[in-house]
This record gives sequence, structure tokens and C-alpha cells, in this order.
Amino acid sequence: MPDSNNGDREPTGWFSRIKQDVISSTDARLLGFLRFLGLLYGPIARRLPIDQAFKRALQYRLPAHVGWGHALGGITYLLFIFMVITGVLLSFYYRPSVQEAYPSIQYIVSRIPFGWMLRDVHVWSASLLIVAGVAHLLRVFFSGAYKPPRETNWVIGLLLILTFVAFGATGYLLPWDQWAYWTTAEVVSTVEGFPLVGGFVASMIKGDEFISGATLSRFFALHVIILPWVSLGLLILHFALVRTHGVAPPAEPSSPGEGIPFWPNHLVRTFSIGVLLLAAVISLAALFPRPVGEPADPYVVPDALVSTWVVVDVSLALIRYLGTWGLVLFSLLAVILFFLPLFDRKPETDWRKRPIATSLAALYLVGFLLAWAAGARLESVPPSAALRPEVEERALPPEAGAETGSAEGDEAAETPGEAEPVDSVPAEAEPDEAEPEPGSEGL
Amino acid sequence: MSWAPRIRSALLFVAIAGLPSSANGQERTDREIVRQLGAAGSQYGCVICHKDKRRAFAEGAHANRGIVCHDCHGGDPEAVEKEPGHAAPFIGVPTKLETVRICGDCHSDPNQMRPFGLPADQGAELRTSRHGELLFYRDDQNAPTCTDCHDSHTIRPPEDARSDVHPLNIMGTCVACHDDEEMMAGYELPTGQGEVYRASAHGIGLYEHFNFAAPTCISCHGSHSALPASTTQVADVCSQCHALVGQAFYAGPHGPATRAGQMPGCLACHSNHGTELVPVEAIEAVCSGCHEDAESDAAAMGTDIQTLLMRAEGNIHSAEEAIHELGAAGRETDDARFRQRAALTDFHRMGPAQHSLDVQALEDLGRRVSSVSANIRNQAEVAAEQRWEHTLLLAPTWFLALAAIFLAYLRLRQTKREA
Repeated sequence: MPDSNNGDREPTGWFSRIKQDVISSTDARLLGFLRFLGLLYGPIARRLPIDQAFKRALQYRLPAHVGWGHALGGITYLLFIFMVITGVLLSFYYRPSVQEAYPSIQYIVSRIPFGWMLRDVHVWSASLLIVAGVAHLLRVFFSGAYKPPRETNWVIGLLLILTFVAFGATGYLLPWDQWAYWTTAEVVSTVEGFPLVGGFVASMIKGDEFISGATLSRFFALHVIILPWVSLGLLILHFALVRTHGVAPPAEPSSPGEGIPFWPNHLVRTFSIGVLLLAAVISLAALFPRPVGEPADPYVVPDALVSTWVVVDVSLALIRYLGTWGLVLFSLLAVILFFLPLFDRKPETDWRKRPIATSLAALYLVGFLLAWAAGARLESVPPSAALRPEVEERALPPEAGAETGSAEGDEAAETPGEAEPVDSVPAEAEPDEAEPEPGSEGL
Repeated sequence: MSWAPRIRSALLFVAIAGLPSSANGQERTDREIVRQLGAAGSQYGCVICHKDKRRAFAEGAHANRGIVCHDCHGGDPEAVEKEPGHAAPFIGVPTKLETVRICGDCHSDPNQMRPFGLPADQGAELRTSRHGELLFYRDDQNAPTCTDCHDSHTIRPPEDARSDVHPLNIMGTCVACHDDEEMMAGYELPTGQGEVYRASAHGIGLYEHFNFAAPTCISCHGSHSALPASTTQVADVCSQCHALVGQAFYAGPHGPATRAGQMPGCLACHSNHGTELVPVEAIEAVCSGCHEDAESDAAAMGTDIQTLLMRAEGNIHSAEEAIHELGAAGRETDDARFRQRAALTDFHRMGPAQHSLDVQALEDLGRRVSSVSANIRNQAEVAAEQRWEHTLLLAPTWFLALAAIFLAYLRLRQTKREA
């Protein structure tokens, strides 16, 4: 280590001495992880002492056009951090089994100090995460930031969104209440209707003939073991590529300048947004807590569903109003957008000069918003509830059996008393016939 | 007739009856069967002409009991032509009275009925009934005989859902005659009881909930001993099922009055076939139907009972809502549900208890319901209060957040000034 780093004065206090030791003996390699996670900007020489590396990272200058719109990615990331922290704390108490899942949620909400806040911040962050993620995606799309050389990062970003959706989908079942159970049942049964692969995928998701303890176990494993590792890998790749390629240039080149410093301008902005976001999420959690439904019961279809996750709202609306094919086509549109950078390789980044790409994205955005609005209003019983009315709508026995018997007997026999017996078993509709096709309810 | 041909005939008949008989699935026609039997040197003559009766009889309970046509109708079953076949002793189509005798030959014999667990007193019961009175003593041909309710050839046991006397079908069997206005006018009997019954609590229980414990016509009137209960007997009939209600009823002032024939028992408030459940809010009005003086003690008692029951009902609903609120707030509800069930039991005990007109007993039960309900309600209110307290957290949260943002703003402003 250079001697100059030790300073002119010898530290006197024990704390100062320890601090000085840490600074002088630790180099910038330790900051690599923070840089990978997007918490520090700028290239840093490896063998720098850590205090100098910090200073250099803070002095890094971002392009001048970086503004509030560029904070959307940071907001998404911040929400993900909220999810991780609250999720880890929830996992201290949550027990993933059919018998214990529901009581453990009750325990968290009613017995653990601030347990209600952990749960509802987790729930609200899950919804806001998707909204912020889609907003970030749109900002990147319309500013043409997905164009080469950043096309790989576009794909990784989309994979991250998909991972977040998978997080939500697997987490949605975990409370094991009626709403969670039947919403999952409906979505899985829709997946079952997907052409070619639907049946296989659905059976892999369920792990059983129906949504059961096996499904709960695999959803929990995916939610807390597999998906976190996948998302961590994707996040590191995402940030590494952001560092590699830098922030995308603006559509209309601005006058060359020195840009804005990471500290204090960008970091203070990010801090403000983070604080605001945390306050907003806590407020939503306190004002609009997710109610706990009745315990999951595969034999009882609930009278109403309460959806609390934006993806469920969108999916349910597509399923109910457009059927399985609606969901398939909407997913197909997402796939087209996914691979768009492979075909749209012109350097043009102004959205007004990219009509096809802009139309596709606008279509997806409008569809998403409409489906979200429609889905949030559903609050209804899933089509699978049609299993139940076969009991309610069972035909009453024929009016006063003798009336039927005598009428038929008069026609069939010479004398009423000697009529051949009529096997008057009430004809009931076959359950299979009575059950409407999924999605037909809303058409 | 000696025993040998009789046994042979019975075996042949059972063999024929056991062959496939449905028109669609039939592999051989009846004519082919008869031809085959003739070729084998044996025949059962009746089925040559009366094959439709054979088919009907084969579906009934008697087909497998060794009973054949000539046991009831006489004649010579070995004859293959009508005239010798119908030779004496030939009964043909029995009269109504002959039917009772023919059926009674077996069904009044305890020794024959014992293996099947059937009573042997239906004939005697029929004789004591209104139907029997008309049939035996007035030779009234409108009066039903055995085959009018049980069919003549396809006689199925009551537990067979296709039987005319199955609980789901018995009402239809009765109203076949009792809805005939012309016929009933001769006996000064009203019609339409079937429809009223179908809409009653009993009818709904039977036809909508398939509750076979629900009474049918014969549960109150008797089957073979069919007779309407007299005014003084109604409460006894009802209390066969509504035992606690009956007990309370006779413990109160209305019971002795019913025994004395001063009031029509249960029918004073509930109708006979309609069996309406008097809504809680209509109790006072029902009481005033007899106790017209609104100032009387009896009318005041009606008001008190209605008030107590309405209050208890409200408490039960309130407890249910509170449990729902507790559940939605993530509270454990097992204990509250258990207590609410206990309160519900007390509330249901108020139903029978009101028939004794014991206001004190009702007040005691009502207090227990109220106490449990208040306790559960209190739990829900505590939960709601705690939930409201969560919102108090917003004040420090937003104070800190805005303070932090303000400081950040100051820092940014300072940076701009320095720049």
C-alpha cells in the first residue's frame, strides 16, 4: 500500500484505528459485487484502496440526458429489494404445507409485531414491481434503447420481468386461502388449454391431478429457492451489461457536455424516489391490506374472488373475455416484442419513425391496461364454479308422479291399473355437458 | 293341483321371467321363448296371450318369490288355449275386495311375511282406515284397494325409487285421487293438498334437499290406516318428529287447551299441509289472530316473544359478520366459531322453547346468545381498532419521508449553486 494512504496523523482512538486499518488494507475488488448489483457506477481500478474507489465511483459522471425517466429501472430494482427483505422475514414464520400454510399466515398477520406490514408490503410491492417493470420496459422500448449493441440486455430485461411474473404466480398460492387456491386453479386450467404443450406444462405445475399439497410444495420451492437464484443471475448480467454499454444515447443528440455527477445528483434523486416509494408502499399496506380469505377448500368454490395482483387481473380478464386463445395471442404478442431486437436492427431510435414496432408496443400497452382495468372489476366466481350449479339447478322430480304416470299409462296400456311401469328416473344433464367452456361466461 | 306341477310351473315362470325382456335388448322374442318351451314338452299357458303382464310382473318384487299368475287369477296354466285356460277355478280380474283378500292371503300371514321383515297387519289397518270403511262397508268403488297404490303386476318395494310408494312418489300416488275435484266433492274433501305440501317446509326438504327424513302424506296420515288426524291429535302427530316442540307445547297453556279441543293444536299457527315456518317478525301478528285484544296479557306475551327472538336472531347474524371480519383481518376464528355454534344451539333451543310460552326461559337463552355474540363482536372491534391503528403509522412514515426528501432537495439545490 502506498504510504500516503496512511495519512499524516496517526489515529488515536481505537475506532479510528480500526477504520484506518480497513481503509488501508481493503481494495476495490470488494466493491465488485456492489457494482454488479447496480449500487455503484463507473469503472474502478482493482488495486485502489477502498476509500479512493468509493470516491471515484461517486464522482462518475452520467450522460446529461439521464433524468427522472431513467429512474424507472431503479424503482423496479428497489421494489425487488423490498420483496427480498420482506420475503426473507416472512419465510421465518411461513410454513409451506396444506395444514400449516393458512394458520401461519394468520399468525404472521395477527401475532408477529408488524407482521401485517411485512405481508402487505410484500403484496403491494409485487404489484408495483410489475407496473414499474412494464413502465421501465416501455421507456426502453420507446427510446430505442434496445437497439444494438444493447439487444442482449433487452432480452435479459424481459427474462427478468418473466421471472418476476413467475415469482408472483408461485407466491400467489402460498397463503392457501380460497382466493389464492381458486385463482391458481383457474389460471392453471387455462394453461392446460394451451395448444400442444398445455397439458404437459399444467401437469408439471400441479404435480398432482389437482391443486394440492404437491403444488404448494413446488410453488414454494420455486418461489424461495429457484427463482431467487435465477433472478440474481439475470440481475448481475443486466447490470454488468449496463456498465459495459453505458446508458443508451438520446434519440436527438444533445450538445456534448460533461454530464451529471453520480453523487450527489443521481444518488440523491434515487434516494428521494426510494424514500417516496417506501412511504407509498407502507401507506398502501396500511390503508388497503389484502384480506385473508377462507381456508382453501378444493370442494367449495368461493362466491367471489378478490384479486390483489396485477398479473392475475390481466390474466383473468383475458381468460374470461377472450378465452384461452385471448391469453395465447396476448402472450404471442409479448413473444414478438421479446424478439423484436433481432429484426429491428436499424439505428433509428425515434419512436415516431418506427411505426411497426411502436404499433406493436402500443397494442400491447393498451391491451395490458384494458385487461388490467377489466380484470380488477371481475370479483367473480371462476368458470370452474359451474361445477356447483349442477346441484342447485337439479331438476325437481316430475310434478306429482301420478300425473306423469297416469298420462303415460293411459297411452301405453289398455287399462290404467295394468300399465307397464315407466322408468321415471329424472333425466339430468350430464355434468360434462352442463359445464360451460372456460371463458365462455363472459362472452 | 298337486305340488309337482306347481313347482314345475313356478320354475318355468321364473326361468321365463329371468330371460331378457326389454324390447331393445331382447335377443329372442316371446313367441320364440314360448315355442322353445313347447318344444321341450312344457308350457305356461298364461304368457302365451298375456305376455305384457308377464313383462310387467317380472320387474316387480314378487317375480322372484315363486308366485305365478294362477296363484292370484286362478285358471289352468297348463292349457294353451283361452277357454280351457280360463276354466274354473278362474278369477280373472279380481274385484277390489277380492284383491284385498288375495293379497291378504300372504300378507296377513305372519309366518310368510316374517322372512321379509314385513308387517302382517296391513289388511287389518286398511279395514280401520277411511279407505277401508268406504271399501268394506259401503262398497264404494272409488275407494282404493291394494293395487291402486302398489300397482297390480309391477309391485316394487317402497325403497325402490321407481315404486309408486317411494317417498318421492307417494304424494303423486295420493293426489292421483285426492286432486280429482269431482271425486273428492262426493266426500266433501278439499283438493290441492299436494301442491301446498310441495311448497311446504316438508316438501322442500324432500324434493329440494332430498331429505328422506322429511314426512310425506303417509307419515302423518298413515299408509294402510289412512285417516286424517283429529284436531286433538294433531299436536301428537307433529310431535312424533318435533319431539322437543311437542314437549314444550304441552308444558305451556296451549297444550291443555288443545287436549280439551279448544284450539287446533299446531294448526293454530302453522297450516297442516303448508307447514309454514312462522317468520320471527310475524309472531306478534300470528298471536293476534286469536288474541285479538291488543291490550291483553297474551298479546303482550306474543310481542315479548317476538322481540326476544328477533334480538337473538340479530345477535346470531352479528356474530357471523364479526367472525367474517375477524377472518378477513387474519385473526384465528376457530374459537369464535366454536362459541358462535354454541350460541346457535341456544338460538335453536329458543325455537322449541317459544311453544311453551315461557318468556323467562326464552330470556335466559336470549341472554346466552347475546353474551356470546357480544364477545365475538368485541373481538372483531378490537381487530378493527388495531387495523385503524396501523394507519397512525403513516404520520411518522410520511414525516420522515418528506423530511428526507426535503433534505435531498436542499442538497441538490446546494449542488446547483456550487456548480
